[in-house]
Amino acid sequence: MGTQMRGTAAPGRTPTSLSRRSRTKGGIGESTLRPDGTLKVIGEFAYSSDLWHEDMLWGFTLRSPHPHARITSIDISKALAQAGVHAVLTHDDLPTAHTQYGLEYTDTPVLADGVVRHHGEPVALVAADHPETARRAAAKIKVDYEPLPVVHDEASALADDAPILHPNRDDHHAGHVPHPNIVHRQPIIRGNAAEAAKRADVIVTGEYEVGMQDQAFLGPESGLAVPAEDGGIDLYIATQWLHSDLRQIAPVLGLPEEKVRMTLSGVGGAFGGREDLSMQIHACLLALRTGKPVKIVYNRFESFFGHVHRHPAKLWYEHGATKDGKITHMKCRIVLDGGAYASSSPAVVGNASSLSVGPYVVDDVEIEALALYTNNPPCGAMRGFGAVQACFAYESQMDKLAEKLGMDPVEFRQKNAMSQGAIMPTGQIVDSPAPVAELLRLIKAMPLPPEKQWETARGAADVRALPGGLSNTTHGEGVVRGVGYAVGIKNVGFSEGFDDYSTARVQLQVIGGEPVATVHTAMAEVGQGGITVNAQIARTELGVTQVVIHPADTQVGSAGSTSASRQTYMTGGAVKNACEAIREKVLETGRRKFGTYHPAWATAELLLEDGKVVTDSDEPLADLVDVLGDEVIDIELQWRHRPTEAFDPVTGQGFGHVQYSFAAHRAVVEVDTELGLVKVIELACAQDVGKALNPLSVKGQIHGATVQGLGLAVMEEIIVAKDAKVCNPSFTDYLIPTILDTPAIPVEVLELADEHAPYGLRGIGEAPTLSSTPAVVAAIRAATGLPLVRVPVRPEHITGT
Amino acid sequence: MKTFRYERPADPAAAVTLVAGTPGARYLAGGTNLVDLMKLGVETPELLVDVSRLPFGEVEETDTGGLRIGAAVRGSRLAAHLLVRERYPALSQALLSGASAQLRNAATIGGNLLQRTRCLYFQDVSKPCNKRRPGSGCPAREGAHRDLAVLGASEHCIATNTSDLAVALAALDATVHLTGPAGVRSLPLTDLYRLPGDEPERDTVLRHGELITSVELPPPPHSARSRAPLMVYRKVRDRASYAFALVSVAAVLDVRDAAVHEVRLAFGGLAARPWRAREAEQALQGRPATEEAFVEAVRTELSACRPLRENGYKLALAERLAVAVLADLAGQG
Ligand SMILES: Cc1cc2nc3c(=O)[nH]c(=O)nc-3n(C[C@H](O)[C@H](O)[C@H](O)COP(=O)(O)OP(=O)(O)OC[C@H]3O[C@@H](n4cnc5c(N)ncnc54)[C@H](O)[C@@H]3O)c2cc1C
Ligand code: SF4
Repeated sequence: MGTQMRGTAAPGRTPTSLSRRSRTKGGIGESTLRPDGTLKVIGEFAYSSDLWHEDMLWGFTLRSPHPHARITSIDISKALAQAGVHAVLTHDDLPTAHTQYGLEYTDTPVLADGVVRHHGEPVALVAADHPETARRAAAKIKVDYEPLPVVHDEASALADDAPILHPNRDDHHAGHVPHPNIVHRQPIIRGNAAEAAKRADVIVTGEYEVGMQDQAFLGPESGLAVPAEDGGIDLYIATQWLHSDLRQIAPVLGLPEEKVRMTLSGVGGAFGGREDLSMQIHACLLALRTGKPVKIVYNRFESFFGHVHRHPAKLWYEHGATKDGKITHMKCRIVLDGGAYASSSPAVVGNASSLSVGPYVVDDVEIEALALYTNNPPCGAMRGFGAVQACFAYESQMDKLAEKLGMDPVEFRQKNAMSQGAIMPTGQIVDSPAPVAELLRLIKAMPLPPEKQWETARGAADVRALPGGLSNTTHGEGVVRGVGYAVGIKNVGFSEGFDDYSTARVQLQVIGGEPVATVHTAMAEVGQGGITVNAQIARTELGVTQVVIHPADTQVGSAGSTSASRQTYMTGGAVKNACEAIREKVLETGRRKFGTYHPAWATAELLLEDGKVVTDSDEPLADLVDVLGDEVIDIELQWRHRPTEAFDPVTGQGFGHVQYSFAAHRAVVEVDTELGLVKVIELACAQDVGKALNPLSVKGQIHGATVQGLGLAVMEEIIVAKDAKVCNPSFTDYLIPTILDTPAIPVEVLELADEHAPYGLRGIGEAPTLSSTPAVVAAIRAATGLPLVRVPVRPEHITGT
Repeated sequence: MKTFRYERPADPAAAVTLVAGTPGARYLAGGTNLVDLMKLGVETPELLVDVSRLPFGEVEETDTGGLRIGAAVRGSRLAAHLLVRERYPALSQALLSGASAQLRNAATIGGNLLQRTRCLYFQDVSKPCNKRRPGSGCPAREGAHRDLAVLGASEHCIATNTSDLAVALAALDATVHLTGPAGVRSLPLTDLYRLPGDEPERDTVLRHGELITSVELPPPPHSARSRAPLMVYRKVRDRASYAFALVSVAAVLDVRDAAVHEVRLAFGGLAARPWRAREAEQALQGRPATEEAFVEAVRTELSACRPLRENGYKLALAERLAVAVLADLAGQG
């Protein structure tokens, strides 16, 4: 471990492994192929929406058409009377006094309790023998609403006469928020920003805005709840965190957690949008009420109402710098719109605040980040989690500062870049590699795509490589190129003192004459490639080729969420840890059985390689098959990363984060300034990944995150009108990049080990989403000279009309 | 979705009789728009009469050297048709710039012309909308209307027509052939569509039961020197493919001796119908084909625009796009 090396993550150029425990085929460092890959591509993968049970009913959710209203009455009689309907449930039918749930605050009603607080809030449930019957019955439920005044932005949320959306708050932040419509507020004060500002030769301020982005996963919310004979329930579900769902579901059902047995079903993408519950409790309630299996599948329209989105944000920043390009201070205020319920807003605030400086050394800061309660759609986790919004703002500021100083934007960043040993605004020392300047150097050094890259060999124009694409708008005339840079910092794993752990159960036994490892975790495979990596780790640690991955369920301990870039670190770490314990057992057994035959059993350092016990000088001692015999070694262990601590509520000081992850982008765009069309032709990325356990997956994550950042930069936004209603809940109207919008994404990977992490790895899934957006916008600014303070940037912002 | 009956009559007359005799009946072609709207509850037909297999599947040359396109021809087939690509390239470009390959494989010419607006409020039955529910109001005016009309709108509705095909056909002087309970009739394509006025629920002048049988194009205009038809379709949209037009332009230009001999110009994305720019055309007729003349003519046309808070950008886009298109065509001639 600890080797410092780098290479691109191209599949053909696998970095050599860091440890000698890698002779076993398919171990870490290899780009083994994911088992779900081909199935997904050919359309045979079974998603949760494909679940089926004999005799099952279909559930449907009636949702509020109002963003804020009192429910004066609900009449379900007509719906109940419809043939084929088995149950209709409202808040009054909930079985226990636990009628709310939530990731951080228990503030979200399972079904509206007299008030609806956002457009699309669930009000009633129907189970029927056909989805269409359920839908029609729901339409017959008569709900009388008395509309209430709508809170839709900071001014209306904090006005003197603002309706208080959650009057009886009992959450742990309720005591120190300045206003009850503020979910959480995290200031950070370090040094003396006002004093430091006096040293500044230039001061730059800016106000920035980030629109509401959707995770836009392709597999809608879906699952199947099957009532069991013991009065419990079996739930097959696409989620990001089985045990967190369980903790929220069981009390509402009035069941002990052991009676709610959950199994992960095929997940069609997540990106944070499956961290909160959607239809889980609803399906269980209907199944328990009817005694029949109940399936719920949202359609695309409903899916837009069925999960939280990325917080839209308004960010105000001030930076100062000296003539020689040193940042003197930073002040900022970040206002996130949390929508109607808390979801993970408190943690998003913590991130936005603690990462608001970016990967720079700034000793004197005054930071404030907060999330509002409004009647807008609830916002919560999405890839990048609070760091995305901040990165757009601070990187925009970096360019502004550099310009004001007449400096090269990359050099200016490098001058202020943090490195290992730097102190975060929270006082935390960055105690593992932070190669920020080097990442910037790498992307800058990459060759630029050729000028007029749209020209074909025959001198014609390939319109696909031009702004407007197939729309035929330009053949290259009047197209201006721009280049932009950005770099970002993201935390990995759960922060602020959260007891973050994962659990792995590993079995080793001989099956059919071969040693086989079975790995059982509750980790949600949401497409990130976790099961592939877990198998690689087991092969490396146990020296076996055959690894069986047990389906993820709640029969094993929690794995924590597939979010916060944490699963390879955490569940990978847990698998490694359990395998190490197994290895000890194997060696113990081996010593007992064969120790007398060879002195090395007692004296040498022993390893498991290629199905054998070998010495550290590669001398084979015994076959695993012989050591194990009939024995099944079976170990389940929890594994934790090092503890963190909460941020001080006043000063924001604290060892809050486990690990940091850094990525940088260079965007090259061509802009048709007349028509406001942007073609991103290249988005080069450099990232430190600590250790690429599966280089192909690493590259895939970087590509995906980069494109998601591009989407935010130029097209993705859920439009919520002033009346707090969602306007574009469809993939025809909410645009995500197509492959034609997707540029070339050359990738440079650094592997600088973090000594605190398993194999030195770094969580990688989010960092590249951060820097992609500001890099693209910087490039558009460079091409157009426009300030562009809001994303997504649309044609009308470029045409300036 | 509401329960509906489905019929697939063998001939056009039977289809017309079925629809004309049932107030809540609709023709069904590729279904890519109608079925979507049924799922959303926007359309709630009682009876669907499938016309996708009626004998309107041909693309034929007419006696006068024009083209007759059957209403049931699929978009992808028409776009790829040799005669279309050679003689009416703008039509091919318009089709290919719309929707996706899969949708074009299913969607028909008749259905394309009669697709409903993409106004965000029209799609959502929980919201008011004069077009969907007459008299309920038009929330788009105060709300999200970035995509909506700047020309020919009324206080009751500011929706746009979103067919790319219709814009190209408008510039090509297409005629629409209809058959209905009262017999056959033909209309210039531009007269098929209505401006909203105080009846925004009526997109077209079609009477209940009228069926589009074909669309006919006059022979393509040729420049004096070459056989290449000087026409083009261009579209500005939010992503590189698979998105509706913010603004689009179809133009035909024939320049002789540096003067405009013939010009036809139509805009998409600006109004409830493809906007044939007759004023601009008149202004240009016989004039020198210069950029200044194009700018002036297009501005005259667009002076009638009444933009709202979010859609004013469409004016500049329309002007720049049209001027660029005309200048390009003039340069090629
Ligand atoms: C995701 C998406 C993106 C799209 N993007 C674009 C785009 O960029 N540009 C664009 O132009 N279009 C776009 N479309 C619209 C698409 O072109 C239409 O859905 C399609 O052309 C409709 O044709 P159809 O045959 O499927 O019609 P249907 O859905 O079957 O019918 C549409 C309407 O026409 C009526 N109708 C059909 N045939 C006849 C006939 N012969 N006589 C009388 N009435 C008839 C039907 O009763 C119905 O009211 C998009 C659609 C989708 C879903
Ligand atoms: S613009 Fe027309 S279609 Fe849109 S909401 Fe208003 S009335 Fe309805």
